Amino acid sequence: MAFLSEMLGHTVADFEGIKIGTLEDLLATTQKKLTHPMITGIVVRTDVGKKVYAITDVAVLIAPAIPLKKHEKDLRSIEPAISDLFLVRDILDKQIIDMNGVRVVRVNDLEIKRVGNQYFLVNVDIGGAGLARRLGLGKRWQNLSAKLQPGSASSIISWDVIELLPTGESMRLKVPGEKLKELHPADIAEIVSDMNRIQSGEFLDQLDLKVLADTLEEVEPDFQASLVESMPDERVADVLQEMAPDEAADLLAELPRDRSEEILDLMEDEDANDVRKLLTYEEDTAGGIMTTEFVSVKEGLTAEETIKLLRETAGEAEQIFYVYVVDDERHLIGVFSLSDLVLAKPRNRLTEIMHRRVAKVHLDDSQEHIAQMISKYNLLAIPVVDEENRVQGIVTADDALDKIIPTAWKKKLPRLYR
Amino acid sequence: MSLSVRLRPIRARLLLLLAVVGPGIITANVDNDAGGIATYSIAGAHYGFSMLWMMPLVALALIIIQEMSARLGVVSGKGLSSLIRESLGVRVTVVILGILLIANLANTVSEFAGVAASMEIFGVSKFISVPIAAVIVWLLIVKGNYKTVERVFLAASAIYLAYVISGMLAKPDWHEVTLAAIHPTFHLDAGYLTIAVTIIGTTIAPWMQFYQQSSIADKGLKPADISFERVDVVIGSIFAVLVASFITIACASTLFKEGVTIASAKDAALALGPLAGKYAEILFAVGLLNASIFSAAILPLSTAYVICEAFGWEAAVNRDWHEAPVFFSIYTGLIVLGAAIILLPIKSLVQAMISSQTLNGVLLPVILVVMLRLINDKRIMGKHTNSLVMNIINWLVVAILILLTTLLIIATLFPGWLSHL
Repeated sequence: MAFLSEMLGHTVADFEGIKIGTLEDLLATTQKKLTHPMITGIVVRTDVGKKVYAITDVAVLIAPAIPLKKHEKDLRSIEPAISDLFLVRDILDKQIIDMNGVRVVRVNDLEIKRVGNQYFLVNVDIGGAGLARRLGLGKRWQNLSAKLQPGSASSIISWDVIELLPTGESMRLKVPGEKLKELHPADIAEIVSDMNRIQSGEFLDQLDLKVLADTLEEVEPDFQASLVESMPDERVADVLQEMAPDEAADLLAELPRDRSEEILDLMEDEDANDVRKLLTYEEDTAGGIMTTEFVSVKEGLTAEETIKLLRETAGEAEQIFYVYVVDDERHLIGVFSLSDLVLAKPRNRLTEIMHRRVAKVHLDDSQEHIAQMISKYNLLAIPVVDEENRVQGIVTADDALDKIIPTAWKKKLPRLYR
Repeated sequence: MSLSVRLRPIRARLLLLLAVVGPGIITANVDNDAGGIATYSIAGAHYGFSMLWMMPLVALALIIIQEMSARLGVVSGKGLSSLIRESLGVRVTVVILGILLIANLANTVSEFAGVAASMEIFGVSKFISVPIAAVIVWLLIVKGNYKTVERVFLAASAIYLAYVISGMLAKPDWHEVTLAAIHPTFHLDAGYLTIAVTIIGTTIAPWMQFYQQSSIADKGLKPADISFERVDVVIGSIFAVLVASFITIACASTLFKEGVTIASAKDAALALGPLAGKYAEILFAVGLLNASIFSAAILPLSTAYVICEAFGWEAAVNRDWHEAPVFFSIYTGLIVLGAAIILLPIKSLVQAMISSQTLNGVLLPVILVVMLRLINDKRIMGKHTNSLVMNIINWLVVAILILLTTLLIIATLFPGWLSHL
């Protein structure tokens, strides 16, 4: 094992020990079947410019002076493949995604390991030790950290758990985003908030609609708006259709009016109408934060019929723990939970299992009030009614609490510095 | 074709311009902070109109350098410290950011000197005003809504217009002013050289390059927006230097004429006399306080940000330091140290404001050389690298600054030696 920082600058000498130049960079390949990039060449700085030699011409790579196997006159510079990585140029000092820590970090050093006759890039150093080593203070750092925090873990992470950031050029590497798909959208959102505008734009372009929609739902509306700013209208419309109508409305409210109208026109009528209606309500009121995707059923049904109906129709709803019972004019007359329904006898009428005293809020009630209601009655969601007691939507507990407990502390960073 | 159809492209372009405008103008306004006001006041009060010839040249240099910083931000989408780290490695990064940290500590000190000086006009001791201001600034960073704070600051910076009006009301001999603006005069004494370097250092401060590039990258502007961003930069730069010139003119035609040298902020306030009469001191104090408080919040925050950006440390504002320990330590440390230094027995608050700006001027060439290297890097800038003319002008600015700095050091170490030449 050796650190790249300690290898760079080493003398490269030919078969007869005559100095050719110094080591400047390493070339590596990231073919699909390899789990780690394999070193395929060395970049040597010579008096007559940079030369790239194949690793097969190198006798020993990890050594204070690197001997080659050939005479200088027999050496042939190789042409790097388009998919090859230059470790110094492309990875060292650049930002990468640490999948375990769910954050964007900077590469301070790289660790190279010899396996048989081959060399691999195995680890990435993102900690202070790597930084100290780059400054030529590696030894001192070791002594210092041993004194301060004996037995502390170093911040070296395996290549397995990192992702490269899309930078336009490095797209040719392993498809970025592969591993990211396994992450929770909240974690993806966290990572996206670490990136700069260009990076996040390219990164989001690669996500599929569903994941993108879920990710956007995890961030604050003003940040959402800045993320979709440069996306084509069609893609924004498609994503909005995947999002819950309340989230979609929040996002649209942050965009310039002209643009949000154009996007609404591109959406399917049904979705667009839901969103348009939500846009008419004040931001911090029940109307502004409610979703229109909830389940309601007519009072006449039996438990068995209701279960069948839910299977067929309730797929879209944000939550189905509560089912609201309405009359023919959509007046709210009762509510029952999924457990009430499952535990009821198949032939029971809904009017027998439902609760008639429903905790509810009005369209213009404040978010604060809603949060208090939800907390008082221990609810997962609360229905929103208009003046005539007709159900307009529901507010889920997480949306109500958002105001009181911001989704992530990171949101506190002023806009200028996000 | 109806008029409205023809007007639409213009309106659309105007809207786009408004969306892009901002970073340049805001940066230019933050530029007229405590150190800036003190420097321009001294220049006018002690040297009359004789410093004015520098202003058009400084404006030109400011436009060119800020345009470069804007272009770097737009094309790379990254902050300056990030670019330095990725292209020039760890050692250069440590050196440059070390310089920035020192310069910005000095600048923060100067902002607190501004707070102390402005509150002394109201008879408030610095031992009361500075600790309170430090707490306010800290809370502003941790709890404040940046957008609101920024708007309040920008609105309040209209106070600078008072200098323009006061400068007019003082009825300077405009013929003399024009002559002074186009006829360079030069002295080799340490005082004159100091003010010359200081004027450059306060107008084209190192921190501005980092601050503006971050906010441009953050706005997500695209290469297609470059021409609009240039408008932003040019307007901002001209405004900043215009205000600076009028501070000098106002001071020259009041203080210099009366033979008053500036020993405290009270003296500097006299320049607003023609406009505000007996309220000049109050107007001056409020303007200085506003500029000082806002810049005292911006500087530590932006310093912490660029350092953490370069080293990949977590950057987030929070009361709790566990989430982003380095970030928290840097901005809290800068505020505490900046305020504490002002509480030491300092002879002159005005001098404290000036010295930091001299340091800016001395450190500026280093930052410029690095910026020039980055902007001529084809891997970063593609086809947006500097033109030959731009490079020549830039190297000229660097050369002049280095020359001035060298002369200043000689003049300080061996007083009187240069004037014998």
